[in-house]
Amino acid sequence: MGRQGSRPLPALYLLRLYFRLLGAQIRSQLVYRTAFALDALAAALVTGAEFAAFVLVLPRFGALGGWTLGEVALLYGLAELAFVLMDLGFGGFDAPNLSAHVRSGSFSTFLLRPVPLPVQVFGSDFALRRLTRVVLAAGIVAYGVSRVDVAWSVGDVVLLAGSVLGMVAFFGGLFVVGGTLTFWTVESVEAMNVLTYGGRTLISYPMSIYGEWLRKTFTFLIPAAFLSYFPVLHVLGRPLPDGLPGWAAGLSPLVGPLLLAAAFAFWRVGVRRYHGTGS
Amino acid sequence: MIEVEHLHKSFQTRSGGLLRGQRRTVEAVRDVSFRVARGEVVGYLGPNGAGKSTTIKVLTGLLVPTSGRVEVGGLVPWRDRRRYVGRLGAVFGQRTTLWWDLPVRDSLDLLRDVYRVPPDRFRENLKAFTALLDLGPFLGTPARALSLGQRMRADLAAALLHDPDLLFLDEPTVGLDVVARERIRQFVAHVNAEREVTVLLTTHDLTDVERLARRVMIIDHGALLYDGNLPDLQARFGSARELVVDFEAPPADPRVPGLKLVSSEGPRVTYAFTGAAARPIALATAHAPVRDVTVREPDIEATIRRIYEGGLLGTVS
Repeated sequence: MGRQGSRPLPALYLLRLYFRLLGAQIRSQLVYRTAFALDALAAALVTGAEFAAFVLVLPRFGALGGWTLGEVALLYGLAELAFVLMDLGFGGFDAPNLSAHVRSGSFSTFLLRPVPLPVQVFGSDFALRRLTRVVLAAGIVAYGVSRVDVAWSVGDVVLLAGSVLGMVAFFGGLFVVGGTLTFWTVESVEAMNVLTYGGRTLISYPMSIYGEWLRKTFTFLIPAAFLSYFPVLHVLGRPLPDGLPGWAAGLSPLVGPLLLAAAFAFWRVGVRRYHGTGS
Repeated sequence: MIEVEHLHKSFQTRSGGLLRGQRRTVEAVRDVSFRVARGEVVGYLGPNGAGKSTTIKVLTGLLVPTSGRVEVGGLVPWRDRRRYVGRLGAVFGQRTTLWWDLPVRDSLDLLRDVYRVPPDRFRENLKAFTALLDLGPFLGTPARALSLGQRMRADLAAALLHDPDLLFLDEPTVGLDVVARERIRQFVAHVNAEREVTVLLTTHDLTDVERLARRVMIIDHGALLYDGNLPDLQARFGSARELVVDFEAPPADPRVPGLKLVSSEGPRVTYAFTGAAARPIALATAHAPVRDVTVREPDIEATIRRIYEGGLLGTVS
């Protein structure tokens, strides 16, 4: 009786359990080898096709908003890399997955297990097939790095790595918000997709191609420009727009986790709502 | 073990659109109170939508009630969820806790880590359950490939590996054949007797109740209609018992003063009575030679149907 108190579970145990749950997901996916191979191929095609559009179109204009192909590749590749990594890690929170769990009752199964809910939701989906997209995105980043005229310093690398982390947290936060909304209604999912996938597309291009109001909206209202645009500008040795100081380029690892923390606060509200209605 | 006092749960529902719709409050559970002692097996019955599953959801901590006091083993289910559910086992007939595409053995291993079952204890339990439930032949089979009966057995083992104090069984025998049902009943009875696990059982199969539970609670329209043992339920609400008399020859007049005539077909005459059988037998057999006499007990299925349909009770006994 009561041998397991509610004292916090050791982080190492939770991490181990998370990896055990991921392992279960991966083994489950590998059961269906053909489907897995096709999915992996399809996932790679999505990224490949998008980038191919750049490569084919951009040379005709010479540059995009004053950006060369290499520079766009760097910006696009970083955003894609972060988004795909996020999609891999946060798949359990993706609204279609989570709402399926809620409707089928497997979310109650999570609630009946003595493990923090986020660990179980994180461990409930890991679409290994997206690894092909990770590889492709990394390739695009590498291509960009090889084509831009930058004398790379350790600071630059840290800045861009921080940018990727910030983006993973930021979009992860949007996934968590979208998933949480399904506790209320499934119809909200489309609206959320505009933010998530729209935001991802938006930051894949240099903000200089957008009108001033759009750029300012995504700087000050929804701080997406901090995620990758400013860090890349800084690395390329260009000034930030709107008179922002240079250190603002390093805010991505701050902006992302802040949104993620807010998203998990909202998540707790959603779970409370679930406890009130049971559906 | 379980203490429930004045439990209420109501839901807000909307009909006809988000903006112009009417808000309506539905009372799923109204003023339900009961206690369950450690080691008891209680059958919890009621038609669909009666408030059964709402009660179970509150007791498993999935739902927070609108009002009322609930304590299980000294804990409030919806507070401190992790601590509480570590002491529960639950099997829902409609869904599985197993990983669909993984061998049963892997799911059980995962649950060992989820519940942090000490390795020795896990081995002992797995060995015991494998023997009792005959899991051996399908430990290596993925859950999706199991028959319903096998899946239910695996789910039962999964629910008990961490030595819970309390086991919730929701329709554990639904859709199973007679042999599979019997095996599951035997297992639950064993676990209850040997491990002192308290069991709360909801089912539509009244044989489950007759075999396992000494006590039944009946809920309908959100209110507890009956809480007591099975024989008392029969005595209070049961249809009358029936006396079937086979006479040597068809009687000219089958009527007997003091007995209600149910039917008369040739030499076989059926009477209805309540209470002890001795006097009705004496009455019916006093005037003509008799070959055989049988007393037919009303079945509890009919009794419970009568309670639902007739609303025989307004309040808890």
